[in-house]
Amino acid sequence: MIGYYGHPPREVLEEARARFGNDFIDLDVATGAPSSGVLPRAYCKILSNIVDNAVNLGDRLAVIVASVGEEKCDGGRNVAVILEKMGFNVVQTTNTNNLRRPVTISTSGLSLKEKLDRIMASVVRAQPRALPGCRPTHGFWGVPPNDYSLLDLFPPTTHVYGWTRCVEAGVPSDLELELHVDPEVPTVFFTQSFCAKQALAKFLAGKYGGLCIDIDTSVTDSILAKVEAFIALT
Amino acid sequence: MILADCGTVWSKICDTGTGVLDVLSTKDVTVKYPGSFDIGTGHMAKGRSIRYENELIALIRGSMRLVEEGTYSIVDVGGRDIKFCRLKERRPLKLDWNQSCGANTGFTIELLAGYYGLDCNKLPVTGERIPLTCGVFGMEKMFDMIINKVDPAEALARFVHGLAYNVFNFCGRPEKLYLSGGLCENNSFLASLGKYTDVTPLGRDVLLYGLCEEYAGPTGG
Repeated sequence: MIGYYGHPPREVLEEARARFGNDFIDLDVATGAPSSGVLPRAYCKILSNIVDNAVNLGDRLAVIVASVGEEKCDGGRNVAVILEKMGFNVVQTTNTNNLRRPVTISTSGLSLKEKLDRIMASVVRAQPRALPGCRPTHGFWGVPPNDYSLLDLFPPTTHVYGWTRCVEAGVPSDLELELHVDPEVPTVFFTQSFCAKQALAKFLAGKYGGLCIDIDTSVTDSILAKVEAFIALT
Repeated sequence: MILADCGTVWSKICDTGTGVLDVLSTKDVTVKYPGSFDIGTGHMAKGRSIRYENELIALIRGSMRLVEEGTYSIVDVGGRDIKFCRLKERRPLKLDWNQSCGANTGFTIELLAGYYGLDCNKLPVTGERIPLTCGVFGMEKMFDMIINKVDPAEALARFVHGLAYNVFNFCGRPEKLYLSGGLCENNSFLASLGKYTDVTPLGRDVLLYGLCEEYAGPTGG
């Protein structure tokens, strides 16, 4: 099994595929793995997922392809070292690709959950075809959340912005694209709690009149109400 | 049609047929109103309303019916939570809902007033305030004051003043603020909040206004 996190370069993932087979797992995603207790309790849940998933999978992971550059975060780099010291076979990668592919999933009329699923699947395999666009009524800016139930609150006419759009464009460290939003589209700026991207989210939400939210583990009633109200009244 | 705003502590229920607004303790609601509500909002109306509305939406829609300006700030200080919205041209610009900290809530005042046998709506107004970064620490300071011979009503008024100051900060220190909820009837709170912002109380039935156009305030006795 090949574990990966962030957005490693496609060629590195292809090398891993050639050596270890086609069984990929995105370690960023919550899988129900028990807490390993390795990282602090108050910490980015995505980084905790990486370590908890890795510890839970143990020997089944032939390799971990780790994003440690600007396309991920300092936490990704630190976690790679920790996993290495714990005995995992870690390949550290950086992804500085700056050639943007056109985005079509982000602007399609698929459900937001389906959009994010397809975009994140595109890290390991190219998506087969372009999708027709839809006119946006709302925007979702940010990274895929730990708790995907957040995405159910958004209508299919929600366009995707931020790091997730950068992933679809194949340029996960492209800060200029990450900052791009459509100013007239009411947008929810989402980050995980304890994430450095909170600075961008707050800045952009203030600039464009969006809603800034952060979630640690799972969606709270308060977050749910705020997002529902924002979507219903904008 | 029965409209209900059932908070954790207090419920506001109106039969639009009679126009009577019933404000009662939420723990008594199931006895007095055993059936379903037509439209409900609030923690305790969930699961027993034919149509349920999100509290923030009810607050915002209700305020839009009561406030003429397009750009304004509205806050609802409830029994155990505080809901806030800053609107610009009648669209939400900033939304917040704190339901975790007792330092911001009305129930804490009621608990303390009940303990000292005070009427929380008849407290004095004071220039002093207890820092309420944390409600529990705030209570500790209040108890210390009482030990040191400060009159309990004055000590609680300082607590209320601290709470008003917290609400002001929570709302982003606006020049003008519309207030919803039971604290609209608390003169000590209103005067304390009025030291920092131009406060306009809208009453405790703002969320009912947001549930349906048919509701136009209590009209029956």
